[in-house]
Order: sequence, then C-alpha cells, then structure tokens
Amino acid sequence: MKETKQTLIYILKRLALMVLTFIAIFFICFILIRLLPYQVDSGMKDQETFFKNMVAQGRMQPIYEIINGVKVPTGKYESTPIFTQLWYFLSNLFSPNSPYRWGVSYIIDLYSSPADVLFSRLPPTILINIYSMIVSIPVGLGLGIFMALKKNKWEDHALSILVMLVISVPSFVYAFLLQYIFSYQLGIFEPVRANLGDGGWFAPQMFASMVLPVLAMCFGSIAGFARYTRAELTEVLTSDFMLLARTKGLTRAQATVRHAFRNSLVPIFPMILGEIISVLSGSLIIENIFVVNGVGSLFLEAITRRDLDVFQFVAMFYITIGLVGSLIVDISYGIVDPRIRMGGGK
Amino acid sequence: MDSKELLSLESASINTSTPLPTSLFKKVEDRGNLHDQAFETKRVSFLRDSFNRFTKNKASIVAAVIILLIALFALIVPLASPRSYVDPVIYPNGFMDDNFSLALPYNPMFKGTGFWDGTKVDTVGSNDYNTYLFDDSNNKYLVNLIEKKEDRVGSTVSYSYVVRLNTYYRGNILVKMQKEKYEDFISYQKEKGIYQTEKSIDKPLVDSATYLAAYKQSLLDEGFALTSVNNVIDKMTNQYNQKSGIFYELSAKNKKGELVDNIFTPVVDNNGQVKEIYKRDTNGNLVYFESHGGEYTVRVDSFDYSTYYNGFEPYYFFGANKSGQDIFLRLALGTRFSLLLGISISAINFLIGLLWGAISGYYGGAADLVMERITDIISNVPSIIVLSICAVQFTNNAGLKAVFGDGGLVILAFLIAFVYSGWIGVASTTRMQFYRFKGQEYVLASRTLGAKDSRLIFKHILPNAAGTLVTSSVLMIPSVIFSETSLSYLGIVNFSTSGIVSIGSLLNEGQAAGLQYAPHMLLFPCIVISLLMICFNLFGNGLRDAFNTSLKGSEE
Repeated sequence: MKETKQTLIYILKRLALMVLTFIAIFFICFILIRLLPYQVDSGMKDQETFFKNMVAQGRMQPIYEIINGVKVPTGKYESTPIFTQLWYFLSNLFSPNSPYRWGVSYIIDLYSSPADVLFSRLPPTILINIYSMIVSIPVGLGLGIFMALKKNKWEDHALSILVMLVISVPSFVYAFLLQYIFSYQLGIFEPVRANLGDGGWFAPQMFASMVLPVLAMCFGSIAGFARYTRAELTEVLTSDFMLLARTKGLTRAQATVRHAFRNSLVPIFPMILGEIISVLSGSLIIENIFVVNGVGSLFLEAITRRDLDVFQFVAMFYITIGLVGSLIVDISYGIVDPRIRMGGGK
Repeated sequence: MDSKELLSLESASINTSTPLPTSLFKKVEDRGNLHDQAFETKRVSFLRDSFNRFTKNKASIVAAVIILLIALFALIVPLASPRSYVDPVIYPNGFMDDNFSLALPYNPMFKGTGFWDGTKVDTVGSNDYNTYLFDDSNNKYLVNLIEKKEDRVGSTVSYSYVVRLNTYYRGNILVKMQKEKYEDFISYQKEKGIYQTEKSIDKPLVDSATYLAAYKQSLLDEGFALTSVNNVIDKMTNQYNQKSGIFYELSAKNKKGELVDNIFTPVVDNNGQVKEIYKRDTNGNLVYFESHGGEYTVRVDSFDYSTYYNGFEPYYFFGANKSGQDIFLRLALGTRFSLLLGISISAINFLIGLLWGAISGYYGGAADLVMERITDIISNVPSIIVLSICAVQFTNNAGLKAVFGDGGLVILAFLIAFVYSGWIGVASTTRMQFYRFKGQEYVLASRTLGAKDSRLIFKHILPNAAGTLVTSSVLMIPSVIFSETSLSYLGIVNFSTSGIVSIGSLLNEGQAAGLQYAPHMLLFPCIVISLLMICFNLFGNGLRDAFNTSLKGSEE
C-alpha cells in the first residue's frame, strides 16, 4: 500500500516536471519560430485575405500614417510584438470555438488547422511504423538470443559484424540500395508509396508499396534490438542465479527461458515501449526517399516551405512524443523491475 | 633497557628539560637511505599502455588507416585536380561542362571492359543505330553491338539493337573563336602532328545548303507537291543546323518512297557508305573554317576540343553530375567539409560539455539540479528547429551576410545548431565520472591536505575520466557528420548559393537527378559516408578498450 502510494507520488512528480519542461520548450520554440519571416507571396493566392487573417489572430497590425491629424491605413502591415502574439496564441488555444486554435496553415493546406493537416498525414506513418515493429521486434530479439547462446562461436562473430555494419551505415544508404535494386532494377516493388485512391490503407498494392520503406526502417531497429538483447542476455547468463538454477536440476533450455530471458527482458521491455510510442513520429529520411507523405515528410515540408504554424504544431507534436515516451519508459522500469521500485522508496 | 629505567628517564627529561643524549637511542634497522624498491619491470605510462592495447585491436587499426586514407583523399584531391585551377570568373561555382552532364564514371584501368569505363547499355531503333554508324568524329558513340533483335508485327519486320554506348561522346560541334585563338588552335594541332589528319580536332565544314538546294530540285522533279517539299526541306535544314555531326546526304523518303518530315535517313551507296557533303573551295580542297569579321567558325570534335581548351581530358573518375561537375572532386570537397565540421564541432562541444559537466558533477546539490533542468530543456528542443531557424534568420540578415558571406552563414548555422545541444552528451558523461570519483578516498585525502577545488578537478578527477571522455568525443565526430549529412540531404540548409559542398548536398543533388538515371551520383557519396561511419565507430570502440585500464593484462 505504502509502496503504491510512493510510486504514485513519483509518477506525479515526474509528470509535473514533464509539464514544466514542455512549457519551457514551448515558449522557446514559439519565440524562435515567430522570429522567422513569412514568405507572404509564396503560397497564399490572395494577400488581402492573408493579412486580414493575420490581424484577426493578433499577429500583425496595419501600419497607419497620420494625414491632417487623421489616421489612415497605408495598406501595409507589420508584426505585433512577440509577447502580444504569445498572448493572442494562448487565448486562442484555450477557447475551444476559436478557428485559430492551433494556428493556421498558409501554404500546405490553405487556411486549414495544422491539427487537421497533421491528422490527415498520420495513417501512412503509423502503418509503416507498425509493420516495421511487427517485423523488427521478434527478429531482433530472436537474433539477439541466438547470438547470446552462441557466444564467441563463429555464428556470433559473423552476426556481430553484420549488426555493427547495419548500425553504422546510415539508413538512407540502404534505403537507396533497396529502392535501386528492388524497384528500378528488378521492378518488384513500387519505388514510392501507392496512391490512396483504390482500396484504402489495407489494399494489396498499398501493402506492396510499403514493403521497401518498412524494410529500410527495420534494418536499423533489428540490429539495435539484437545488439541490446545479446548484451543483456550474456550478462544474465553468466550470473550466479543461473548457476543455482542449473545446480538445482533445470536443463539449460529451462534455465534460459525461465530465468535468463525473463530477467534480460527488464531493460528491453522499456525499449519496446519506447518504440511503440514513437509509432506516431515518422522518419524524415525514409519518408522523403519513398515519398510516403506521412508526418515526417509533413515536418520537412513545413520547414522547407516555411508553413510556420504547421511547423510549430508538428515540432511540438514530436517533442510531446519524445517527452511522454521517456516518461513512460522511466516509469516502466520501476514496474518491470522490483529492484528499482524498492530502491526508489529507500 | 627495561620499563623501569625508561620511566625514570622520562621523568628525568620532564624535570630537567635537557635534551636526551642520542647515545640512548638505537635505530631499529640501519640500512642507509630508505627507498621504495626499484621497479624490476619496465615502467609503462598510461598513454603507452593504452597505445599498446589499441595496437592489439586489428579492426580499429584498419579503421584508423581507412579514416586516414579518406582524410588524405579529401585533402589531396582538391589540390591535385586540374579542375580546381580553372578561372574563377568563368566558373564561380567550380569547373562545370554541360556537354558532359551525367557522364558515367570512367576509370582508364577498366577501358573496354564495360565496367566503370563510361559506357552504358541501351536499346535503340534502327534509325538511331544508322546515325551512330556514320560519324566522322574521332570518338564513336557506338562502342559495340551486343545484339540485333527482330520484332515482327504482322508482316512488317523491324529491328532493334542492343548496343553499348559511350557516354563521353558528344560528336562534332561548331565553335566560334577569334583569329589569334584559331591560330593557336592550329599550331597546337601541328605540334601534336594531327593537323588535317584522321585524328585532327577540326573537321571540314559541311555544305548542307548546296545539297539541300539540289535535293529540293530533285524532289520537285520527281513530282512532289511544292508545299510538302518546302516543309521537308525546312525540317531538314533544322536537322543539319542542330546536329553538326551530320556530314552526309540525308533522304526524306521512307521505304515505300513516300515523303516524311520527321525521320531522315542517310543516303547509302552500294558499298554501304554514306555520301559526304563537305564544303570545298573552287579548287576542290576541303574548307576548314569560315570567317565573318574576324570571328572564325570551326567544326571540331567536341571531346578532343575540350581536352585542348581546358588542358585536361574531360574524363570523370566518379562520373559527372547534372551540370557536368566532377563528382570525384566534389566528393573530396564534401568529405573535407564534413570532416572539418565534425572535428571542430566535436572539439567545441567537448570543451563546453567538460566545463558544464565538471561544475554540475563536482558541486552537485542545487547547482546540479538547476543545470540538469536546463540541459533537459535544451536537449528536448530538436536541433533541426534551431538549424532551420538559424539558416533562415541568417540568410535574411544583410549585416551578417556581409561579414561571413554565403558559405560562412551556412557554416555558422551548422555550428550553432550542433553546438546548441551537442555538448549535452559530453556534459552528462563528465558529470557521471565526477560523481564516481569525487567521493573516493584519494580525493578526500587531497582535500584534507588543503587542495583547492580547481586542483581536485583538474589534477585528481579529470585525468581519471580522460579515457571515457576522449572516446565519447571521438564517437561524436561520426554522429555530427551523420546529422550534417542527413540535414543537408533533406535540403533544410540551402547549399546552392554558398559554393560549399557537403556529402549531404551531393546526395541531395543525386536524388534530384533521379536514382534510376544517375545511380553513380548517389553510389560514391554513400560509399564514403558508410565507410566513415563504420570506421569511426570501430576506431571509437578501439579507443574505449584502449583507455579502459581495467582490461590491462586481461588478454595475456
């Protein structure tokens, strides 16, 4: 009872800290992003509507000149001070009926909410990440276990070298390689993601077009899981309780499965959890190479085309995922491993 | 001396307060000067020991050698390549030659093998094939015929040819030059002994006008309508004007004897030879130049002419990019930029992180808590945001632009974006090492003896943490190179106006040119970046083991 209370307090403390960090980061990002200049004529067809929109959001104000003691608008606009902008942004944010709740997209999807833009880009990213996870977790863990059991034999050495190579080589290299070999040379798979047009997200041609990006994402995480699992499992396999397990009569397989593997999962489980949370965030490079049109490519598009509100929203989205992910991973350590839970309470 | 005697002596000394005579004392053991025993083995310093351990790791030595080779490549090629010494006024962004856009990699060692010799395999129709056959330039487009295919559609038979083509072929072109330049050109050829021979760079001019007039008359005589003949002759004139390589008679008739205005075939005699229509003077000699107001028009072999003009053969070891720049040279420049950026950013991050981590780890408590929160916040703002903000802000700032120039701004943006959060890794490593060592007895002993904080930090704690820190800063170099490459590949930083090349911007160019059309543009940068990543990781791991003193003697 006391223990759960302490855990709860710990979680609440971490949560409060996370919110504080988030707010600080938000302010920094907000100010930095609002300092960027707008490219007024790049996307919006009608500049007058754009300026009216900006004035309505409190981000710009018309410049007046005084002719004969009367204020006359010059038709030009200037940015309001950054803290006025912040005030307007926050008051919009907390009024649910405001059309400018999250800001407005000016280039990617004219005058729509960045939130809508982001949510429309989520499905392909989530699908590709989930497919990649379904492949990489079992394969990675399996390889790691195999390597640990064959420690210092030739299989282990060969696989270790392979894992080292895959971890070192940047993901775009094998993305290019896969694309060149399988789509341009052999013509087996589409080089870019299929259109949503016929059949929806689970149509066969959609699946086929996602094979290459999924493969390109898999390699890195398979190698990561394999290396981590191998390291953890070899450490557990040499510990004293394994010797005890063998002395009390368990076979090697029994001892490995019941004692070693479960214990080695302690640091691996949070890693998997982290992977699950980051399903929402897309890889910039892979999505760019295979034209996935997901969250990652939205992020890139927002930066390169300077759709600043979308950029801000997507950036904060990524930051939230990162913060929540690390929080859950930290908490899950305590849940999985009783030693950490007990140690924390003193 | 027994205890009673000693006691009386003691009281005596107290009472009389005179020094005791030394004769009362006797050394327990008299052996001259007291010393530690001299080492019987050879003394090994920390660095020596680390180096010995490092040399035992074969993989990291190989990695170090490869890194060294790549660094040499990056340093020497820009100095040695003749393409770096062209006139910067004509080529502000480095040497480029549109004629050789997307030329494939050429290595003289592989000449004629079909691999890495600048040739490609293509399938062409019979019309194209015929034009490849008849050519009066020194270099032939057609390297060899691989296969002749027969396609039957109903009763009509057409042929297609699988051929190996030379991507460096540009045929003959017309160039204009001043009189002096022309004389230089001729004397160059005479020196080489190729003037007006088979291998001559300048070729006789083509007199298409005379031929076209005659051909038009012959068509009219055959009874074709004037409008269609005019149309055909116009198109044919265009053809002659556009392709200076055509030196023979063309026919506009297809196999059925009808006039067509889009496909012109060479007129072939019974021996399979074309009929040349070179320009001749009144004596029947070939005419090599035409002059208008001191400007000479000459028909030259493009490849040989550019060798003469630039002073080097237009071969590209790693191929050429879309605007005809040498990828070999640009890759060296890019690698140099990436390596320098990686090393300097790592050095800066190392210093900042060391200082920050030392303070936060050594003092602990409230200072540590505040500093930890600050790093927490900083590390959560993605550097991609900082980078793009820097890049945009700087390029809009005229004052900064005047000071640093376009290239300097790119470097500054990278520097700020990577230093901004890059030092945090080093700081947390340093902090951890300080927590580990600061409570140890030897530090406590030194503090008891009155050592200042700075002495404790720099003399007692840091040297112990040196190995870990050096390793982590070496491993930072590949991570900086990787981030820089990814970010410039994604096009977040715009390199195009700055004249700076990085491996990432080469990848960006390569992807823009299309992976299926120009794989060589991606292949070589990818190889170099992969080698760098692998070797730096191996090298870093080797260093980590080398500095880990607890491994000493573990292998003997």
